[in-house]
Amino acid sequence: MSRTSLSVLLALSIMLAACAGVLGLRPHATRVAFPHRQHVMKGVNCKECHTDVAASSKERPPHFPTKSDCVRCHTQPHTDRDCLGCHTDPSARGGAELAREHLRFDHAKHMPAAKGDCVRCHQEVALERPQALRPKMATCFSCHQHEKQWATRDCDGCHVDLEGERTLPASHLVHDGDWLREHGTQAASSRDLCATCHSERSCSTCHGVGTVPGLPARLAFDEVRLNGLHRAGFRSRHSDEARAQPGLCTTCHSEQSCVECHQLRKVAPGEGVRSPHPRNWLSQSKGGGDHGHQARLDPMGCAGCHGGAGEQLCVNCHRVGGPGGSPHGPGFASNKDKFHDVPCRQCHGVGP
Amino acid sequence: MLNGVSIMRHFLALVCTIVLPVSAHADPLQLRANAFTDSRAPAGLLILEGRDKIRPWFDVEGLVWTGARPDATADVMTLALHLREPSGFGDVRGGRFVVATGAIRPVQIDGISALARAPIGTKVEVFGGAPVAPRWGDRSYNWIAGGRLSQSYEGRAVTGVSYVQRRAHGENADEEIGTDVSASAGRWLDLAARGAYDLISPGLTEATATVSTRAAPWRFELFGIHRSTGRLLPATSLFSVLGDFPAQTLGGTVLWKAAPRLDLFVSGAGQSVGGELGANALGRATLRLDDEGLGFLGFELRKQHASTAKWSGARVIAAGPLGRGFRASTELELVIPDAPNGRGVAWPWGIVALSWRSLSSWEIAAATEAASTPDHAFELNALARVSRTWELR
Repeated sequence: MSRTSLSVLLALSIMLAACAGVLGLRPHATRVAFPHRQHVMKGVNCKECHTDVAASSKERPPHFPTKSDCVRCHTQPHTDRDCLGCHTDPSARGGAELAREHLRFDHAKHMPAAKGDCVRCHQEVALERPQALRPKMATCFSCHQHEKQWATRDCDGCHVDLEGERTLPASHLVHDGDWLREHGTQAASSRDLCATCHSERSCSTCHGVGTVPGLPARLAFDEVRLNGLHRAGFRSRHSDEARAQPGLCTTCHSEQSCVECHQLRKVAPGEGVRSPHPRNWLSQSKGGGDHGHQARLDPMGCAGCHGGAGEQLCVNCHRVGGPGGSPHGPGFASNKDKFHDVPCRQCHGVGP
Repeated sequence: MLNGVSIMRHFLALVCTIVLPVSAHADPLQLRANAFTDSRAPAGLLILEGRDKIRPWFDVEGLVWTGARPDATADVMTLALHLREPSGFGDVRGGRFVVATGAIRPVQIDGISALARAPIGTKVEVFGGAPVAPRWGDRSYNWIAGGRLSQSYEGRAVTGVSYVQRRAHGENADEEIGTDVSASAGRWLDLAARGAYDLISPGLTEATATVSTRAAPWRFELFGIHRSTGRLLPATSLFSVLGDFPAQTLGGTVLWKAAPRLDLFVSGAGQSVGGELGANALGRATLRLDDEGLGFLGFELRKQHASTAKWSGARVIAAGPLGRGFRASTELELVIPDAPNGRGVAWPWGIVALSWRSLSSWEIAAATEAASTPDHAFELNALARVSRTWELR
């Protein structure tokens, strides 16, 4: 190996080591997690330290031991400070407080059933390196079947507000990858599953008709990690975005939504407004210019401005016998009555 | 300017009038109010959302917004009552809500939806109502009705068939049948697909499918999309008669959780738009700066090359806590069109935001946004939001 390669390798190794903390490969120096296992192995009953656990409730502070609980055994503390200031994982307290906020749970009701055996639920407390001291949901299900609630995705019995809780599920429901594109396909057969965490508002803020004011990308402008379709400079190039994914806009928008906004911004057809069309859009030469081809690729784009009464602009040329000829392209088929139904009768006229 | 001050004064008065009299009266009532203003269109905006579980079998939720433009306006996005049969055999929704049943595309209606479940995993859902028109606009003889029948197989797979008919001013605007399927084989494979077939202009309206698999720290996905743009428009639109020029996409994504705090994501797809071939690609890296993800850096590259939409883009995001409830965030984007056509050779866009969250559920955020767009050489915009959440028990 050449000296240069060795130097590069060394530099990369140093960089990786330096980045290990940033990447989460090496945990940052944290306060030591409370040594539950050592206490359990020495036969210390949980209630000797968590003295008021049976009386804990939402209205009272969490049942964390205080310094007076510790000094009953550790009679000569090495400092005057609060023991749990150092001898605990800071995330444990935060997690417990979040659980109190988001779960309906009462220790007092569970302790008689567990016969004082806290480890029955807090199984990881006896492990050398516990991942979580709070019981997992599967532990709850070992006693509480909740079959009916599970069938109907009624989680309110335990979870105060799953939507607000924002607890990411651990299995296939994790919304990673390109979830924005994927969610419609996944949700098509899983309304009940979606409703487990999401309320009506989750759908209507994007899929509603008058949604623009409440769009997450607009309202939550400071949440830059939101991967909404309409983030960043989308507004200024929305016509290009629409042409890149023809038909996608109709998932949420009707042609009226285009007209409404275009009129407000004075890019709709009418006196004194500019045309967004490029040169050779419309000509009297054979083929009529580029408008026909583009209209077939993105008919929604046309309907956005020329829908409703604006259709007359097309009818003037493309009516039966008109100079524009038939607008029907390959693959056109319809079960409509061409003489009586809308929109056929606009060009075909009222027949017999 | 005086106009703007006057508007804001009226808007703040409106906020105070609506927000202050809130009092506890139900258990638990959740309320959130957002006041939002944007200098681009000098308007005040108030969004109120609430949810109240009055009984275990009955809840109600609403989301309304009101704007304080010179032509003061307002709209209801959600106002829904939800009744459940206590044993889970059925539920009924009524009011204004979004229906997305099986292959039926999401549509916001004023109406009613009923769902019945059988113990063997069969479900029947029917709905009917009037599609919502913005700002209580005219919708005479507009209605929509449909339903879905589905079967679940021990929670591992679901199949369904659906039907919808929509009338616009009495004319048949949409009539479709659809089918959907989803399956999950353990924790490693997910499959979902749906398709809708147009009965007025016979042909496939839309079909989407996705298959994903996970083998930590990797996730792979293959997807396909078919959209017949003419059929997606209401059949009452003149632009629905132009023929069948479908847009089709076939692609895949790969997510690699390269390190506990580093996610790498790439996506690529081939496209056919009306027979013209194209492609798009995206790559994204997200680095969380702490275990909770409060601070992060993100970088994204995107290339779009389909139909007349051709450009390259780069995006950077960053956010981090500043302490005492403050948080700063920024998002920068640069898009370079392949063919500017006189719209500028580059379209940069950026936002810098500062937000503050109190322990008592107040949130305040302000931002400055600057851009050079295809329409304007330079745009500068200021945004602000004040939010408050109540949870009354």
